[in-house]
Amino acid sequence: MRVLVVEDEKKTASFIRKALQAEGFAVDVCHRGNEALAAACAVPFDGIVLDIMLPERDGLSVLRQLREQQNRTPVLLLSARGAVNERVEGLNAGADDYLPKPFVIAELVARVRALGRRGNEPKSTLLRVANLTLDTVSHRAQRGEKFFDLTAREFRLLEFLMRSAGRICGRMSIIEKVWDYNFDPGTNLVDVYVKRLREKIDEGFEPKLLHTVRGAGYVLKE
Amino acid sequence: MKIRTRLTLWYAAILTVSLAVMGAGTYQEISEQLRHDHSKRIWEHALDETSEMVLYVGLPAIVLGLLGGWWITRKALNPVTALTEAVEQKHDRNLRERLPGSGNGDELDRLTQVFNDMTSRLDNSFQRIREFTLHASHELKTPLTVMRGELETALGENTLTAAQKELLLSQVDEIERLTRIVDGLSLLTKADTGQINLDFEPVRLDELVRESVADAKILGQPHSIQVSLSACEVTMVSGDRDRLRQMLLNLTDNAIKYNYPNGTVMVSLAHDNGFAELRIENTGPGISPELQPRVFERFFRGDASHSKTVEGCGLGLSIAQWIVVAHHGSIQFVSKPSEHTTVTVKLRSEESHEK
Repeated sequence: MRVLVVEDEKKTASFIRKALQAEGFAVDVCHRGNEALAAACAVPFDGIVLDIMLPERDGLSVLRQLREQQNRTPVLLLSARGAVNERVEGLNAGADDYLPKPFVIAELVARVRALGRRGNEPKSTLLRVANLTLDTVSHRAQRGEKFFDLTAREFRLLEFLMRSAGRICGRMSIIEKVWDYNFDPGTNLVDVYVKRLREKIDEGFEPKLLHTVRGAGYVLKE
Repeated sequence: MKIRTRLTLWYAAILTVSLAVMGAGTYQEISEQLRHDHSKRIWEHALDETSEMVLYVGLPAIVLGLLGGWWITRKALNPVTALTEAVEQKHDRNLRERLPGSGNGDELDRLTQVFNDMTSRLDNSFQRIREFTLHASHELKTPLTVMRGELETALGENTLTAAQKELLLSQVDEIERLTRIVDGLSLLTKADTGQINLDFEPVRLDELVRESVADAKILGQPHSIQVSLSACEVTMVSGDRDRLRQMLLNLTDNAIKYNYPNGTVMVSLAHDNGFAELRIENTGPGISPELQPRVFERFFRGDASHSKTVEGCGLGLSIAQWIVVAHHGSIQFVSKPSEHTTVTVKLRSEESHEK
């Protein structure tokens, strides 16, 4: 997969490039809006990581221009945290995903990988990871022979983790996707919920499925 | 004593003295004239004449003078009263608005001018402080992203020893904390400079309260804190859903953080007379009365002895207060040390004022 990273802050651009290269992506980097537009038009990229704050032409304008030219390359926007308008505007302008800054690099890599698959996966109603299943219609969760009850919140959390199975989910993404909070609640809400969920789905079972990635977030995988 | 009363009293005293002088003069004059009559009762006659004069001419003159004086001082002092009222309305948010002067160049007009100049200098200073904080918090974000990213990249190396890894992870935790502080600060500064627009819509406050109590129950479990919802009436308010949720989460989280193990948190929502009243009461060490007025200050940490055990960015209550005030509501903090602390939020409920 070939990815274009557009970020004016050189150091940030550099560690994004390193992290993506380490995962086997081919990475091109540019620091300015106009440069990015030219590059995106010249080369068919598989994905673009686009910062909103850019010199000359900002990320949203680059994105709109691309979409106007019928360029459908999947775009992951990097937005300032809590700037709800930027996020909504970005998605309206045709972004495929967004990540609030400061982000967890492992999550960025996971999201970039997901960009390539976007749209191809039908939303299944029966999710499965190892012998854990979740029926998103009846809200029934089951591991092996055992059924368990989930509160509405636990259900949404488990659904989110299972839909991103194998990918790291940062605390901030969990807060945004499960709680719909666009602010950092400044509490250990996520950790406490994950702990409860873990007691339900992992206690008494092997292998453990819900793992903590310290300093990054959580991942559900075998 | 009011200037007006004082001036009138002085006025009265001066008039009385002048009347006395006038009376004495008149008496002199009359007795001088009467002396030529050689009448027996000249002195009595003179006295009669004088008192008649004082009574029928002097006294009405004094009364008229007093009324006139009262009126003139009132007229003269009216601009001062108006100025006082205008100055009373001044606070750090409306320093830019200038007080209207009469423009006639008199002493009061000059005073108004000087006052306006002073407030505009103050406004500039406040503005500079706000801009500084805003820029500072913005400038800090990029290095934090870089630090975090580089640390994570470093954590990916396989050559790290367990101790090195632990060190890096602890750095990541600290960066996260710093990020939280910077975020809170930038939110509050943006609010100060009016850069945040709230999205007002009809909101079922009771639903938000139920939701945050459900979260709070789970947040309380690790510390064995019982969270309960004693009353929750159906309440509509006009507000920004996200900000109200943030306020509720901040307040319930505080009630759990600053509590005793095995303590309780009691939440209730009622509405009455067009106002929604949310009460969050918790057991806990509380805050001593002399420090209570300061709880909404940024980075206020309460009694130093408790501050170390509790994590947080120190901005939660300031943010909650901003949200309540932005909704034209009021927030109150009352604490009985070692017993309980109650935070009361009052918001105008929707039914009372149809749009």
